[in-house]
Amino acid sequence: MNFDYSEEQKMLVQSLERTLTKSYTFEDYREQLEARATHAPELWESLAELGIMAMPLPESAGGFDGTHVDVMAVCTELGRRLVPEPYVSNVVMAAYILEATGNSDKLETIATGETKYAAGFYEPGERHNPLALNTKATTTVGGHTLTGHKAVVLGADTADYLIVSAEFEGPSLFLLPANADKVTLRKYPLLDGRGAADLILDGAQATLLGKAGDAGPIIEAAVDRAAAALCADTIGAVEEVKDLTQEYLRTRTQFGRPIGKFQVLAHRMVDLLVEYEQMKSIAMEAAVEARNEAASSRMRAVSAAKAKIGAASRFFGQEAIQMHGGIGMTDEYALGAYVKRMLVNETLFGDTEYHLNRFTDC
Amino acid sequence: MDFSLTAEQSAFRDTVRAFLAESLPDDIRDTVRGKSHLGKEQYKRWHGILAKQGWSTPLWPTKHGGTGWSPIEYSIFDEECHAHGAPRVLPFSVSMLGPVLIAFGNEEQKERFLPGIQDGSDWWCQGFSEPGAGSDLASLKCAAVRDGDEYVINGQKTWTTLGQHADWIFCLVRTDPKATKPQTGISFIVVPMDAPGVEIRPIITLDGSHEVNEVWFTDVRVPAEYLVGEENKGWNYAKFLLQNERIGIAGIGVSKNELAGLKRLAGAEKKNGKPLIEDTAFKAKIAEIEIELRAMDITNKRMLVETERGMDPGPVSSMLKIRGSEVAQRIYELKMEASGLYSLPFQPHAGDAGWNDELIGSLTNAKSAPLYLNTRKISIFGGSNEIQRSIISKMVLGF
Repeated sequence: MNFDYSEEQKMLVQSLERTLTKSYTFEDYREQLEARATHAPELWESLAELGIMAMPLPESAGGFDGTHVDVMAVCTELGRRLVPEPYVSNVVMAAYILEATGNSDKLETIATGETKYAAGFYEPGERHNPLALNTKATTTVGGHTLTGHKAVVLGADTADYLIVSAEFEGPSLFLLPANADKVTLRKYPLLDGRGAADLILDGAQATLLGKAGDAGPIIEAAVDRAAAALCADTIGAVEEVKDLTQEYLRTRTQFGRPIGKFQVLAHRMVDLLVEYEQMKSIAMEAAVEARNEAASSRMRAVSAAKAKIGAASRFFGQEAIQMHGGIGMTDEYALGAYVKRMLVNETLFGDTEYHLNRFTDC
Repeated sequence: MDFSLTAEQSAFRDTVRAFLAESLPDDIRDTVRGKSHLGKEQYKRWHGILAKQGWSTPLWPTKHGGTGWSPIEYSIFDEECHAHGAPRVLPFSVSMLGPVLIAFGNEEQKERFLPGIQDGSDWWCQGFSEPGAGSDLASLKCAAVRDGDEYVINGQKTWTTLGQHADWIFCLVRTDPKATKPQTGISFIVVPMDAPGVEIRPIITLDGSHEVNEVWFTDVRVPAEYLVGEENKGWNYAKFLLQNERIGIAGIGVSKNELAGLKRLAGAEKKNGKPLIEDTAFKAKIAEIEIELRAMDITNKRMLVETERGMDPGPVSSMLKIRGSEVAQRIYELKMEASGLYSLPFQPHAGDAGWNDELIGSLTNAKSAPLYLNTRKISIFGGSNEIQRSIISKMVLGF
């Protein structure tokens, strides 16, 4: 039994920390947000140089054969620094789907950061079920065409290629260039500054990935990997919120004393610390289990984490704002940015209710 | 990062399982599984069986009869005991007094008292709380005055768990009423329950059970050699004693077992003609607590691994006390809810030895509300959850 990062993982975290301290400060985040830019090419390049894109990919594709615990280590830091870059949509989701559908030749440019992908499963009106498909594929002379609407596809606003699920003899996956004809992308930043888009497909040409009708388990596995990664992302954010709030209780003075001396606030802070330890524990388990081929044990672990962390991080955000008082309401103070980051993580890839239900059903 | 047991740990678990399957008497297991009250003889018999195996005082230093188990191994043992329906060994002698005697008692005291703790022949109870000294334990008033080679004790103790069976009580008493700080005038002393002037009266709790007692001392004379350690240093020994409670503080084994019971119950109860466990709302309630317990199991193991490495787990043990009690209480609450109307007939002694009434509802139903009520105590005893929060906030905020 061992709950630590390996020496390699610790070094990875340190170098990522160094890079982000230098190239992505809170002021950089604020400026980028102001400009509604969800992606900074120079930052993306320096992250690729660090090897974090290659790290979880197979060696044959120029990767380092990393585990999902490696992904956890990276995503925790990305959350801690509010980095909006489309890491999860590319390196965690698209890379896995391409590999699982026999398209490993496409991984090399993910490892280098040259090509960006995004994967869209969810649809308007279907809430959090990734397998509810109204998008249809039909066979044509050149391949297939897709018609349908994909909702809030993480990273699609900056992607070169789109992976889309559609009904075609069962759930199937298709690949198309983001600038293909008959695809409309409605691009937008999310609450926290990460980018996404709605995809409107109106007979767009696409290539089938893998076998027709076989994509259900692949989609579920991709969602689990992404969900576990976002759990780790929230841990990074929560650690910052915890430190900010603790420091505020120590230093903010009212009625002639630090407000942390008031038992009503001190005890609420302790409840947050308990939640933090619980969230961290379950996020670790999700990382360890995220690639388990035994689907039901994997899904239970990931759903446990997503449900627990979803509910606890929302509570964390609410309590942190309340204990800060007015300053917690200002956009200039970092707390709000983390609260929004956690909200996005909470709702993407299955919200708390969805995962609570899935936990009992698998 | 690796969550699995090592080969050695799995082998250890198998050994524990085999021992429990072979050695746990049926009547004791059935009483524990039925949530009925164990009798004194049953407690002592099980303690004796563990002692024969050499497992009654596992966490003591090996030269005093400890097993040398690591914290993780101890937690495996604890979980397996709960899973098999084995009673817990009462903590008062084994976990509280024993380590204090080993650390601070003299040779004579160790020789005299440790064997009776180990084999369970002596029943010990704890005399710390008083009517005026609960969370503020250091304000205790029960006094011991030196008179020649004796101490004369006067005062009152309360919440004395299972004191009705006890041969001995270990007490915190005030020996220096003029001490500058209340903590520095306290001593640690042991008293035979049959000494003249000791009087015990039951306190009946909400669930109708007689678990706790009041104990009065009126001019009780004990030989001075019953003082443990030095006079007026008792507070330090008490703090040491409470620190020893860390392992097992989260009650993972109990809660896992109770959760399994909740699922069985919700599978047997019906709602709209279908098992309650299939009801969306109730299912979600179970899932929430199951996930919380799952996370706590890992948090607990993280602490144990740190302890094993000799690191101070700091505030995490107090956190586990808080969350552990909340989780257990929630499970008892849901068992009562699942029992529905049949949680209401009051049958506090159902299933106890000598109880011959006609059972209304199932035994689980009958026990559900009494257990719910009884376990409100677990967020109060051993330092209430509010005291734990104050301890933690002092550590992390610095005030």
